[in-house]
Amino acid sequence: MKYIILTYASQQDYDGIAGKASDKSAWSAADFVALGAFMEKFNQDLEESGELVETRGLAAPVHTRRVGGRLQEGLPVVTDGPYAETQEVLAGYWVVECESFDRATEIAARLGKAPAPEHVAARAFADVRPIAESRADLEG
Amino acid sequence: MPDIEVEDLLRGLAPQVLGAVVRHYGHFDTAEDAAQEALLAAATQWPKDGIPDNPRGWLITVASRRLTDLLRSEQARQRREDTVARWTLPGQLLAPAADRPAAESDDTLILQFMCCHPSLSPASQIALTLRAVGGLTTAEIARAFLVPEATMTRRISRAKQRIKDSGIPFRMPPGPERTERLDAVLHVLYLIFNEGYASTSGPTLQRTELSAEAVRLARMVHRLLPHDGEVTGLLALMLLTDARRPARTGPDGDLIPMAEQDRNLWNAAYIAEGVALITDALPRGATGPYQLQAAIAAIHDEAPTAGATDWPQIMALYELLMRISDNPMVALNRAVAVAMVRGARAGLDLLAELEADERIAEDHRLHAVRAHLLEMTGDRVAAHDCYQAAARRTTSLPQQRYLNARAARLSE
Repeated sequence: MKYIILTYASQQDYDGIAGKASDKSAWSAADFVALGAFMEKFNQDLEESGELVETRGLAAPVHTRRVGGRLQEGLPVVTDGPYAETQEVLAGYWVVECESFDRATEIAARLGKAPAPEHVAARAFADVRPIAESRADLEG
Repeated sequence: MPDIEVEDLLRGLAPQVLGAVVRHYGHFDTAEDAAQEALLAAATQWPKDGIPDNPRGWLITVASRRLTDLLRSEQARQRREDTVARWTLPGQLLAPAADRPAAESDDTLILQFMCCHPSLSPASQIALTLRAVGGLTTAEIARAFLVPEATMTRRISRAKQRIKDSGIPFRMPPGPERTERLDAVLHVLYLIFNEGYASTSGPTLQRTELSAEAVRLARMVHRLLPHDGEVTGLLALMLLTDARRPARTGPDGDLIPMAEQDRNLWNAAYIAEGVALITDALPRGATGPYQLQAAIAAIHDEAPTAGATDWPQIMALYELLMRISDNPMVALNRAVAVAMVRGARAGLDLLAELEADERIAEDHRLHAVRAHLLEMTGDRVAAHDCYQAAARRTTSLPQQRYLNARAARLSE
């Protein structure tokens, strides 16, 4: 079974990691290095266990184009940068292939140990969702 | 690391950096500002701290960060004004993806195509090309065109806004359109060269930095499209024309016609390079106007003396050129060639036909040529009046001084 683990962040969170303070304070160099080391180990473990299908981090929310379904003169309308600074949006994901939802949840739970400044760690969360492999899965 | 080397490096990287940022994030207008700021940062830091291991990567990273900042303040402002930035996806973006991955060198060419987009006026195409592809600052471009910096700033930001509004995607124009757009690119480079070579205004005849920039940009396009005959032809034409620059003005800045120039002053390296380029391009496929003009320039450059010029061949080339381009300047030059082969009277007959063409009837060059041909026939009075008529019609001071001097010589 495949699962996707989703993490979220606001533009302000991205700024903090990049060392820029906003309403939230910036990450220290030590925080930043520790997070990098943690993520490297996390991904390496998943790769070794054969459970990692793919993982990606997304560029800052400011670089977003929203392509609407509503048409204007027959063509889709695109909105640049649709998110507010504090809105939490998708920041990264892991696709894992493992024996059960519970195992996928266990993997996601390890992310809770990721080093981060207190104000970030307190609010961090990840979502785990099963991936529908086929139309039959969806209709099931 | 001397500043001049840093500057050369940056000018070469400028279009690659902007191209990479626009390809990745879009926002041509804001990305252009971000890329300029990254180049400025490098220009102040690198001579002091040394050039980073991967200068291109350094510039792209800095420009991307700057773009993020600029976009955020822009988007925040838009939200305060309660208008969301929306644009309509151009129909062509719904088409399937191109069949091959983009190469880095494509970015420079795509940028050049964007800057010469048909929705822009020639003046805007030139300004945007010099800034976005050439990496010149707005102040430098304003100085070269003798306009206030504020005027050039407005011209460039309007051009960028127009490109953004037109919603053209960042990618190579498809097949048949590409040929058309390449024509526009070559025309812009040709105009930049001419503006530098034969300045239309101001006290000095040549603003050489513009010519040098046009040659640099033409070399760049030639590197990207080495098998295009017209690209090669344009580069050859620029080199073969610029080769005569050192002999074109006297010590007082006065204009010296080609027949009276000291040919030892001509730039032999440029002539050799230009001749090699055009010799290589001519036998390959269709011969366009730039190749023909380069071939004519090569014949002039290779003549050891003015008297040894192969005028019959020049005349034949102008006749070919007339067949593919409806340009009154070509017709005027052909009249000169005909006069040199068949006599001044034959040339004057052709000029009489040209007088009906309103595109050139009031041009000083038509009157100057008529004056020269009349002088050849021995009609000193008519020649004198024609030189003066020509002088009244040019805005260039060196040209006025040259034409008035010719007139004065005849009234002695």
